Amino acid sequence: MKIGPVVAGAALLAVIAACGDSTPTASEGGGGGKIGVDHPRADSDFWNSYMKYVPQMAGELKADLMQATNSQNDVSKLVNNVQALTGQGAKAIIMAPQDTGAIATTLKTLENKKIPVVSVDTRPDKGKVYMVVRADNRAYGTRACEFLGEKLEGKGKVVQLMGALSSINGRDRAEAFGECMKTKFPGITVFNEPTEWEGSKAASMLQTRLEQHPDVKGVYMHAGGVHLAPTLQVLKQKNLLVAPEDPKHIFVVSNDGIPQEFEAIRKGEIDATMSQPADLYAKYAIFYAKAALEGKTFKPGPTDHGSTIIELPNGLEDQLPSPLVTKENVDDPALWGNQVK
Amino acid sequence: MTTLTAPAPRLRLGRFRDLTLVPVIVLLLIVGAFLDPIFLTTGNLTNVLQQQASISLLVLAEAMILISGKFDLSLESTVGMAPALAVMLVIPATAGGFGLGLPGMLVIPLCLLVGAAIGAVNGFLIIKFQLSAFIVTLAMQIIVHGLQLGPTEGKTLFELPESMLYLGSATWLGLPASVWIAGVLFVAGMVGLGYFRVGRSLYAIGGNSDAARAAGIRVDRVLWGVFILGGMLAALAGVLETGRLGAVGSGQGVGWIFMVFAAAVIGGVSMDGGKGTILGALTGVLVIGLVQNILTLKGVSGFWQPVVYGFIILVALMISRVAGGKAQD
Repeated sequence: MKIGPVVAGAALLAVIAACGDSTPTASEGGGGGKIGVDHPRADSDFWNSYMKYVPQMAGELKADLMQATNSQNDVSKLVNNVQALTGQGAKAIIMAPQDTGAIATTLKTLENKKIPVVSVDTRPDKGKVYMVVRADNRAYGTRACEFLGEKLEGKGKVVQLMGALSSINGRDRAEAFGECMKTKFPGITVFNEPTEWEGSKAASMLQTRLEQHPDVKGVYMHAGGVHLAPTLQVLKQKNLLVAPEDPKHIFVVSNDGIPQEFEAIRKGEIDATMSQPADLYAKYAIFYAKAALEGKTFKPGPTDHGSTIIELPNGLEDQLPSPLVTKENVDDPALWGNQVK
Repeated sequence: MTTLTAPAPRLRLGRFRDLTLVPVIVLLLIVGAFLDPIFLTTGNLTNVLQQQASISLLVLAEAMILISGKFDLSLESTVGMAPALAVMLVIPATAGGFGLGLPGMLVIPLCLLVGAAIGAVNGFLIIKFQLSAFIVTLAMQIIVHGLQLGPTEGKTLFELPESMLYLGSATWLGLPASVWIAGVLFVAGMVGLGYFRVGRSLYAIGGNSDAARAAGIRVDRVLWGVFILGGMLAALAGVLETGRLGAVGSGQGVGWIFMVFAAAVIGGVSMDGGKGTILGALTGVLVIGLVQNILTLKGVSGFWQPVVYGFIILVALMISRVAGGKAQD
């Protein structure tokens, strides 16, 4: 195999792939200016729900949305997409940079062009943002720890199926969970499994850990979308999928709040999940983008929608509430997981 | 045509080139046993085999394709796409399917059919159209993964027919069914490539396809068959993985191909074709599975696991180079 043509061909293909989704069609309309949206990925249940809510919320808030682009978890595509969007007249940008460091230069460029940026779910390390719309991921970790700690009465072993450590959300959840366990429940041993948000790795790691420590009594999953099915399958094969009253029961806390997690809570297979508000993410991303275009400014402190705005070195962050869902409140129609079909 | 038969393999020292990883495996078993008392138990080793069953089928497919001098990067996408499409054909629209109402029994045959079709397209483009296997299958890797994301809209398929879950989660005679399946297919691969004319012809084609053609081997037909078989093995790997995980995630199989190549190459399969054995490839999979297992048992920090992991692959490569004695290509 000759490598020269191969490399050239690969490069060409990469260019084509990168350009593939960066040709949004501008929509008609005026007033306030157009809002460009880039979605971070197309392969996660949570983000797919978010993507469905965006046009719906834009309709409710009467925002002028451009055709959304998708950067498929690749920061270089995000940069290209943002250029395309601004080239087509976007006056505000909503993005969700999964690589929070590499977006700095783009944010700087946008700042020079006086285009405000709303960052959803992730907090860029550097570069000006108008508002970060994000749930408090450290609170996820802490609440999962408190829930498991109380259920286990402060002793025993728990497994933490972690997301990718290169993502701020995975890191925040893991750190807060670990710190809380150390300070509040020192009698509990935590096994950290770096699953990289991959179901396959999660299943292997949990299976191995249960073989090594059959007395594991709790599991905290960072993402229900990828960790739920593998965890249930491993527990089922080990005959550990039993009712919460059974002494063999393993307490499972999940994160995301997708409909399948609610179903598992109803069946008693898992015990709780953190409902990450996909609907509120979409709503407040558009709300703040529109507010930016209208020249409004916000100050740190409590908001009118039950959240708190905090000050960042490079902007503000609205930390949206994310309820803990257990058997008691799983049928609450206000939870976004109960609104999608 | 009897004169065209490839010489039967002889038990010479050269044959042990394929077993150069055996010392590595023994070393890993010893080290693992010292590191954790649970490591050398039947339960743990069975888990390792089960965890490696589906990726091993990909290694089997890739080994055959590499031996015949070609390349296939699209296998990893088939692992997710074939089961996803097959499942969508049988589940009702309310569960995220197409709502065609096909019987659930058909899901595995449909899945294998999808895999065969992907292999056939690869074969058509590479053999009939004479395109570079590397680029064709790179493009196919992207397309096939897209063909999973498109219909499913990136969603995980949770509601699966029982027949889809069975093979990946059942236990036969004390061992997971997936281990039996992978074992039988590897034995078939070893016997097929070692002793059968059509299997031996892969080496002839991979070594020198013009000479093979001149010698009367139906090169195109054999290669086409290898690609189709590869696609079907990848689809079967997808079935086993789906059963193990209980759902078809949108990222299923993504990123596996590098592990597959690592396993095949440390197992002695040449990237240039014509060399290597199925047994060697199997030892490569086992090394990778054991390393993963030890890293998990020891709870190596997630930040450092990739470093340790990559380093051990390099060491395995070096050991197989030293033990094998020949320069690697």
